[in-house]
Amino acid sequence: MSNYKILGKGVPRKDAIEKVNGQAKYVHDIKLPGMLYASYLRSPHANARIKRIDTSKAEALQGVRCILTYKDVPRVHPRNKIRFLLDEFVHCSGDEVASVAATTKEIADQAVKLIKVDYEVLPAVFNAEKAMQPDAPLVYPEYGTNMYHGTELQPVPSMREDHWLPLEHGDLEKGFAEADYVIEERYETPAQYHCSPLPRAVICEWVGEKLTCYACSQKPMMTMQDLAVCLDMPESHVRVVSTYVVGGYGGKEPEEIAVLTAIMAKKTGKPVQSVLTREEDFVASRHRSKYVGFEKIGVKKDGTITAMQHRMIHNFGKDNNLTMLILANSGLYGGAILYPYASMKFEGCSVITNIPEHGSMNGYGSTESVYMIERIVDEAAEKTGIDPVEFRLKNCMRYGTRGQTRDTVLGRQPHGTPQIGKLGPRGVLDWGVVGKDADAMPICINEVAEKSQWKKKWKGWKTPVSVNGHKRRGIGISLGINGSAYWNYSSIIKMNHDGTATVMSGATELGQNCSGAMAQVVCEVLGMRYEDVYMHMADTAVTPAGVGNVGSCGTSSAITAAKNAAEDIKQKLFDIAAPRLGVKPEDLDVKDSMIFVKSNSQKQMPIAEACAIGYQVVGVGNNRPYSSFIDEKSGKRIYDVAVAATIAEVEVDTETGQVDTVALYSAHDAGTVINSIVIENQIDLSMVMSNGWVRSENYVIDESTGVVVNPNLLDYKLMTILDMPKIDDIKKSTVEIPCAWGPYGAKGMSETATTSQAAAIANAVYNAIGVRMRGDVITPDKVLMALNK
Amino acid sequence: MDSSLVPITLNVNDDVYEVNIDPRRTLAEVLREELDLTGIKQMCHEGECGACTVIIDSSPVLSCLTLAVECEGKKITTVEGLADKKTGELHPLQKAFVELSGMQCGVCTPGMLLTSKALLDRNPDPTEDEIREALAGNLCRCGNYKRIVECVLAAAEIMRREPNNV
Repeated sequence: MSNYKILGKGVPRKDAIEKVNGQAKYVHDIKLPGMLYASYLRSPHANARIKRIDTSKAEALQGVRCILTYKDVPRVHPRNKIRFLLDEFVHCSGDEVASVAATTKEIADQAVKLIKVDYEVLPAVFNAEKAMQPDAPLVYPEYGTNMYHGTELQPVPSMREDHWLPLEHGDLEKGFAEADYVIEERYETPAQYHCSPLPRAVICEWVGEKLTCYACSQKPMMTMQDLAVCLDMPESHVRVVSTYVVGGYGGKEPEEIAVLTAIMAKKTGKPVQSVLTREEDFVASRHRSKYVGFEKIGVKKDGTITAMQHRMIHNFGKDNNLTMLILANSGLYGGAILYPYASMKFEGCSVITNIPEHGSMNGYGSTESVYMIERIVDEAAEKTGIDPVEFRLKNCMRYGTRGQTRDTVLGRQPHGTPQIGKLGPRGVLDWGVVGKDADAMPICINEVAEKSQWKKKWKGWKTPVSVNGHKRRGIGISLGINGSAYWNYSSIIKMNHDGTATVMSGATELGQNCSGAMAQVVCEVLGMRYEDVYMHMADTAVTPAGVGNVGSCGTSSAITAAKNAAEDIKQKLFDIAAPRLGVKPEDLDVKDSMIFVKSNSQKQMPIAEACAIGYQVVGVGNNRPYSSFIDEKSGKRIYDVAVAATIAEVEVDTETGQVDTVALYSAHDAGTVINSIVIENQIDLSMVMSNGWVRSENYVIDESTGVVVNPNLLDYKLMTILDMPKIDDIKKSTVEIPCAWGPYGAKGMSETATTSQAAAIANAVYNAIGVRMRGDVITPDKVLMALNK
Repeated sequence: MDSSLVPITLNVNDDVYEVNIDPRRTLAEVLREELDLTGIKQMCHEGECGACTVIIDSSPVLSCLTLAVECEGKKITTVEGLADKKTGELHPLQKAFVELSGMQCGVCTPGMLLTSKALLDRNPDPTEDEIREALAGNLCRCGNYKRIVECVLAAAEIMRREPNNV
């Protein structure tokens, strides 16, 4: 057992009470006096030019206060250079054409229907591979290609001239020549919609030249900066408040509607609320797009993987500002680090099409990449006849195998820290290593094998676990990996005169218990009671800078900042108490809200008294850059990853094609666990969302019109409680090897959990039915097709 | 008064509200927009998600598929009415959700709590299968199903042990 006072304990979330009694107010629940309601006109065409737009009838409708078309807004966009808030051109079905603010939502909706638009419909392209053809219609003709086209705010030097991002290690030709078997297959991964429980929403209100935006945003500081840039305002005059944020899963970024709503609020002098409908949210948020992978693996008879060629095509839809990050994740974590193949080559290409844009969603890049890699690795294991668990144990990463970070792949500075490496001319990296915590990989594999009773259930290749009439049970394994970075964050702690603390952080509380984890860390440092720490989250007028809760690093970064701020407070309190207790600050310690002399605990001063004497004791904490960690054994730089392993057991009905997941066993490299109860919530999320991704959700885009055909919860099937295994059939474990740079050895692990799920299901389905599912979803129709039924 | 509005009386959480409403308004809309009881949520507006569940008399009901005018003379319970009105003490289900972290973002939580309360009121000792069956219409995008079942089982046990506290 650890010596921590509160870390690792399952204390209740800081936001739990208000979430069970209905008091937690999301943006959707807020009503301001005189508030107007917004509605949006969206394009019915996937690629078109607006020839004429007539808003006169809509303007005449009683209750309409403001209408915006592309003629009324500045020619800007919060995140990229080639698209604009509203534009003469629309690039996907569902693109915003106009916005209306009116006294009721009904009037705004009615006004939208009265806007008359004449479109010049242009040829469009929806499929990434078709969009790569030389004769394909161009989404942005001025760029001359649909392949990666520079919407990035930062230019990326490591892209090749043919628009593919390369990443290489070793001699691939030699690797394949040494292999006894070479397997080459095409794989797909499904498109998925975040389906946040509530759609995107903002309220904007002006007082003079100052703007307040209540935003359902997981990146409030970026939302604030988006507004400041687009509206040409000082950041000091934009306040973004994101107190309770609905589950985002990467998708809660309201930048376009925030800016349009702010403009409408400015023009009308009234607060304006924009809440998208569920149908709008399907097309106006950034989904996980469909990927195509061309995978080639070489393996020796003894099970050694000698070469891996990993080519991925990403359909990015109309645009994306994360293109390079997603490509880098795809190539690096699943492609290069999970298995330290002697030779590997990754090439990734992102393609622009006339569908809604692809964006950040739970483990982006890595989730899709690992789904492909872990299916072909399974095929390679089968060729050798080796048990899939043994095969992975033989080949997987562990302490000292190669490591890198995506920032280096992109040849850029990782979030303000010094540049630490550069991609060579052919994409060859100066590799570092993964740290001691990477030994969690084999431990996780052994853990899930034991928990699932793998040895008992695995009957060998082409042999299901059991067959009962037309129901066949199968079992499969997948590993998982993602970066576990620390991004820039700050925290401010304000001590009150009664000895309680107010912690301010730019992090958001989306459900991952970031606020509770920060409070635990503050208590650990200052010896305070958990209930004496009040969390003030995500209010840019007062909370300090923070990137946002993204990339599974929000909590780990925010608690680092909180720990440093608490250390700052501790020093200041000791400086106040020491002369009064007649000792030096270093002679003091603190416990149970009492400062005491280490050598004589009778000499003491309550924290409250020191706070009152100090009048306003404030602590500030920042993150330290992570580039300073060097592996003691190899002398190489250590890079951040988190790993996982999952074994899934499925039952396939060969008559109906139905796939049921009957058991899940998952083990997670979690570093030091901060909250033992809440960490399980995040693993549960990965299981349910991944089962949905693979088994049912299927974001379907019509290949002839580019229209999303199932934009509602009736046709877009989320996993229900009945679709998931029963409580005794879900086993979760954490492997706690302290991470080198995390606070107390903690690390981000949530998205890694997601990466480990999908291929376990697909591989289990293969074990059950004997047919490889290399396509996107594993829905009953696809299973029946695979079975030639 | 707008002639298209009708006066109705609603009993919500033992408070009586008199409101004039468009008869086409759903109970969900009236609770959220007229009575400012925003605890219930609407993920889908079409009866798929269960986030808008309230208890009417003793049954869990989707308030997005129920017209407010149908609810006159009935006893409506929302999440705001779960805790003890006099003492503010949380219902055992709420306590279990707090202690065991039965939620993440919290949007589905009100619906989960009310559906579970209706179940425990009619079946104090449900099996896991009965809980799963009862909650089959409540979606949780944060994936907390396993934990929610554990919360309901824990609350049921406390309620059986200390029936007077409920």
